[in-house]
Amino acid sequence: MLDVTGRGVLTLAALLAIPVGTAAQTWRTVTMSRQVSGEDELRVSVSYGAGHFKVGAADEGVLYRMRLRYDEEVFEPRAEYDGNRLRLGVENVGHSIRIGKNRSGGEMDLMLSREVPMDLGLEFGAVRADLDLGGLSLTGLSLSTGASESVVDVSSPNPVSMNTATFEVGAAEFTARRLGNLNARRIEVDAGVGDITLSFTGAWEQDASVAIDMGLGALELRFPEGLGVRLNKDSFLTSLDSEGMVKRGASYYSLDWEAADRKISIDLNAAFGSVRVVWVR
Amino acid sequence: MLMPLYRRTLLGLILAVALLPALARAQERAVVSKEVAVGRSEASLRLEFSAGAPLEIVFRDRAVTIDGDVVGSFDPGDAADAAWRSLLSEAVTLEDGPLSEMLVAWSPPEGLEGDALDVVEVIDEALEQSLRPSLPVVAPSVSVSVGTGRESALLQALLGQVGRLSMLQDALAEAGGAVQLHVQEDVEVDEGQTVNGTLVVISGDARIRGTVEGDVVVVDGSLQLLPGSRVFGEVRLADAHIVRNEGTVEGTVVDVLEDERDLESEIRARLRDELRSELRDEIRHTAPTSAARRFNPFRSVFRAVAGIVENLVKILILGLIGMGVVAFAPDHLDVVAETARRAPGRSAAVGVAGAFLLIPVWILGAVALAVSIVGIPVMIAWLPLFPLAAIAAGLLGYLAVARNVGEWLSDSGYRYTDWIRRSNSVYTIFGGLMGLMSFFIVGHALSVVPLVGFVKGFLVFAGSLASLAALTVGFGAVLLTRGGRRREYFPESFDEAWERAVEVEMDMDEADIEVEEEPGGSENDRPGKEKENDA
Repeated sequence: MLDVTGRGVLTLAALLAIPVGTAAQTWRTVTMSRQVSGEDELRVSVSYGAGHFKVGAADEGVLYRMRLRYDEEVFEPRAEYDGNRLRLGVENVGHSIRIGKNRSGGEMDLMLSREVPMDLGLEFGAVRADLDLGGLSLTGLSLSTGASESVVDVSSPNPVSMNTATFEVGAAEFTARRLGNLNARRIEVDAGVGDITLSFTGAWEQDASVAIDMGLGALELRFPEGLGVRLNKDSFLTSLDSEGMVKRGASYYSLDWEAADRKISIDLNAAFGSVRVVWVR
Repeated sequence: MLMPLYRRTLLGLILAVALLPALARAQERAVVSKEVAVGRSEASLRLEFSAGAPLEIVFRDRAVTIDGDVVGSFDPGDAADAAWRSLLSEAVTLEDGPLSEMLVAWSPPEGLEGDALDVVEVIDEALEQSLRPSLPVVAPSVSVSVGTGRESALLQALLGQVGRLSMLQDALAEAGGAVQLHVQEDVEVDEGQTVNGTLVVISGDARIRGTVEGDVVVVDGSLQLLPGSRVFGEVRLADAHIVRNEGTVEGTVVDVLEDERDLESEIRARLRDELRSELRDEIRHTAPTSAARRFNPFRSVFRAVAGIVENLVKILILGLIGMGVVAFAPDHLDVVAETARRAPGRSAAVGVAGAFLLIPVWILGAVALAVSIVGIPVMIAWLPLFPLAAIAAGLLGYLAVARNVGEWLSDSGYRYTDWIRRSNSVYTIFGGLMGLMSFFIVGHALSVVPLVGFVKGFLVFAGSLASLAALTVGFGAVLLTRGGRRREYFPESFDEAWERAVEVEMDMDEADIEVEEEPGGSENDRPGKEKENDA
């Protein structure tokens, strides 16, 4: 998990990367891969500073496959594997921060094994991220992002159950789709500033609790019809458009809360923003 | 692969010998990790196997290395480089088994020749040596008889080395006909005895009194050709030697490894020569020798003139900018110059602090703007405009200090500064710029004279210091005066303050008197009025 300082550093590094000079980059493309070799479970840590970041599922037999395009004068790839832990990403070369280097052309395309259960940690700074976690066997998920434009999609159900999925979002436009497919007992979202869209569609295998801590910005909660939703709101100067929900006591309930097969309970803590509830078929 | 017969045979044999200790794990030697890196100056492949050392082939900085050893050279974009990159582009898409098969099946593309072909062949061999074990075994199609001094060792080798035997089989197939293979045992061909086909001895000694109808191959051992012996084929030795040669060899006697060693030393020598040549060129271009300088007097004159012209052009450009400032913002220039003159210490302190804060302020401003949707467009403007504003402030400050320097030079009464008219800011700016740049100009001029390099260095240092001081003081003055929009007069000396105060009072008195005594007073008695009339 990347703490606030870490995310700040990643974001700062990304801001410094904004093109102001004409210095030439030396782009290098690296493709790394490793085969599955009997791993029972794997802890995977991925860090990426700036560029375009994509994650998906790999073909059978492949533990990971990573394609990196980066400026070799500034970054160097990182791939460490020790049997039960895998660290991937890029890191700065040396200890100096270079200003004026255009890293907008950087890319990281990562594919992870479907077969090996993994506790996945993703940390990225100012990136444009397209993450499809569908098909991965996730026993844990921790996503931390700085100033980014991120889309997380769980396109197919997670075959194993997960205790907690954590999303830490800095200043960003963040969208999470089909969170029901995560098969998580608890989902935690800590958002700083930005536009956040959380779609709780997908195949819910179990009831779940969700904690959302929202700073300044707009939050849109999208629920599938038929899912029982209870929303506990603790907010300050935050508007709530609770369409399709009724208020009982201090909480808001979906209309079919009692009859729903699967229920999620959301604790929402928000300040200076707006919350909108949308029901999707 | 287009390799000579003996090389292929030798390759198989050496592999068979070299890999004996690790045979038990041969079937597990699959590609478990792959790394393909392609950049402008580098193209590399790194393979990791489940057992054994990894293989790394790198094209970088005109050198080709395999596991860190230089095996050849290339030029970016040449045939070898293109062939290698083409192979990597295929390797990127494949994994494990298909990857191994593709790499083993790969062969140097047609059309390669010379050094490029040599390099690519070496790579091809390295790939095959590393990857062959994982390939399936094909049933042998030649007649091979095997003898061994330690049957258990051979049995172990055969059981564990199923994959690599295919290469040995290929090698022996090239030998043609029947093959007698002896591993770790001495062989004796007695007088009157005939070996039909090729005799191969690995890690053993061969004593021949009789006849061998084919070749004799000895690896890691010795060969004795005794009187009356006869070999109809070739004698090939790898890490082996002939103890006695009293027989008859119809073919040639080849020390294969010597050939390889020659090739290796040839490549190294060529690389060394190329490196030496490049270094010589590099040195010739970047650092002319002292001898060259000594015998080329025009070079220093040319450089001196170029340096002087460069500084004059700088003065011209800065002066033109100064003329623009005088024309369009004279008040701002006055205010900044006045502040820099009256409070140089404070201006310098503010200038230093401002310079240090420039980048943090720029970044923090961008961050602060980035966190809001509305602020993002502003941030887009902020990012380029802030540095431009900082540059403009530095320029304005530098010109203001240059004007002060010009005024000082005008007042100094130096012989060569008479042309500077103090009342005209354009003159004082040009004069000040000349003054600030004079260190560099004189330094360049002195560089023509031999043995005064230290003087030039000192002048350049002094000039840099003066320019830095002018820039810092000027930048600080710009910050203090908000770009020359706010007058920032600082405590004057007592005498100056008193004079100014007295002058104000006199003006006031004068005004009062003028109002009161205008009808009949003598105006010429009042000094203030005199000044007005003079004007």
